[in-house]
Amino acid sequence: MAVDMEELKQKILEFATKKAKHKSKMYIKDLYKADPNAKPREIKKAANQLVQEGKLEFFSSGSTTMYGVPGFGKSEEDQFGTLEE
Amino acid sequence: MADVKKHDTPQCDELKNGPWPSFVDDIEQKGLSGQQACLDLLGQLELSYTHKETHWKHGGIVGVFGYGGGVIGRYSDAPEKFPAVAHFHTIRVNQPASKFYSSAFLRKLCDMWDHRGSGMTNFHGSTGDMVLLGTTTDQLEPVFYDLTHQMEVDLGGSGSNLRTPSCCVGKARCEWSCLDTQAICYDLTQTYQDELHRPAFPYKFKFKVSGCPNDCVAAIARSCCSIIGTWKDDIRIDQAAVKAYIGGELKPNAGAHSDRDWGAFDIQKEVIDLCPTQCMWMEGDELKIDNRECTRCMHCINVMPEALRPGTDTGATILVGAKAPILEGAQMSTLAIPFIRMEPPFDEFKEFVDKIWDWWMEEGKNRERFGELIQRQSLQEFIRRAELKPIPQMVKEPRSNPYVFWSEDEVEGGWKRDIKEFRARHAA
Repeated sequence: MAVDMEELKQKILEFATKKAKHKSKMYIKDLYKADPNAKPREIKKAANQLVQEGKLEFFSSGSTTMYGVPGFGKSEEDQFGTLEE
Repeated sequence: MADVKKHDTPQCDELKNGPWPSFVDDIEQKGLSGQQACLDLLGQLELSYTHKETHWKHGGIVGVFGYGGGVIGRYSDAPEKFPAVAHFHTIRVNQPASKFYSSAFLRKLCDMWDHRGSGMTNFHGSTGDMVLLGTTTDQLEPVFYDLTHQMEVDLGGSGSNLRTPSCCVGKARCEWSCLDTQAICYDLTQTYQDELHRPAFPYKFKFKVSGCPNDCVAAIARSCCSIIGTWKDDIRIDQAAVKAYIGGELKPNAGAHSDRDWGAFDIQKEVIDLCPTQCMWMEGDELKIDNRECTRCMHCINVMPEALRPGTDTGATILVGAKAPILEGAQMSTLAIPFIRMEPPFDEFKEFVDKIWDWWMEEGKNRERFGELIQRQSLQEFIRRAELKPIPQMVKEPRSNPYVFWSEDEVEGGWKRDIKEFRARHAA
């Protein structure tokens, strides 16, 4: 049965926001738990759509990519400062 | 505009003293031509040599819209001292198949990068891509626009994505190539755009394509899925050329080792005795090969390229699971499919890839490479999930990775049995 993408996105967002209060960065595998019935490819697709919509954000170390919720954890500016004009 | 050196860098300067060109010279020259980032980079490197620790902060949320890879955030942890490298992001650019460039393209790329970044590049290091070193967050989208619209190249893979597929020069310039490596590399790049640009996996995944078993891109050592050209029929022999090698008219190895006098060419010592499966011999003045025993080591073909050539019934061998430093050290990839036709649209190969990705996405742990999953869950499980037929070549050593284990449904009566009935026939 095809998954309802909007429903899945909502589940992922709720799961990620709840988790972000304790841990601001999560792996894609963590997001699988948002809907154990959904296939990994569907979770990945939904999570990437949420990033496009600005509701999730990527954090990349260069070797691994993690997901975060904007506003949780240290922001890029807090962590690294802004450049002077 | 000429500039002056901003920082004292005695330890970095030591590296200029060797016999080879030094990256310190290159970076300094670029800095003195006006790129402040280069001078600050050397200053920070000097500080790292003094402190014996890095001063880079690693990672971040920076990227370009719609992509989850290709940009790696880098920040200095001493921005007051080195303001020009306070933000110093790396951009990976997908190289063209076999790395063919025109000088016009390279000029355009360098001009753009001088304008929008540090001017420093790293072409085809271990990552393989064209790497543009050092820019600020506000320049990322303009760089991306210029790359895609002016130069018609895309960003490469980074993070938990499919990494930029790479291939050897293939049929473009190599007569040994059994595959159109460029067609395969380009097709995989286009087919898997989503996996390349948006993180899908527990960790990185690499395809590398070599046209023949010489494996010039080291696919067997470096890629999660190695596609290596091979042939099914016999090695082609030109007996007249064999005689010419023996007679000294043709130089062995195409003259590659002619800087020293190695004496007259000895086919017995230099070719036949070195064959790993001993499948070659001379009958009179004719070279014979038992092709069934050939393991495609390529030695004889490399030594006598005018006499011996790969067969004409060509395809690829697919191997999986290489990783440079795996838990116990380097791991070469393991044979999965001994022979597969690699002709567009490569459907049979892509079906295989889908199966192994499904397994890895379901079962792979965070930051676990595909080869490590095979190690952890067994070769047998890999064979089952990839729906392959076990063959002896998959076994590296009989006792370390055997693939034959009985499953309960294959054994009459399963694992449970009546011990009393067994003991009635066998004393304890």
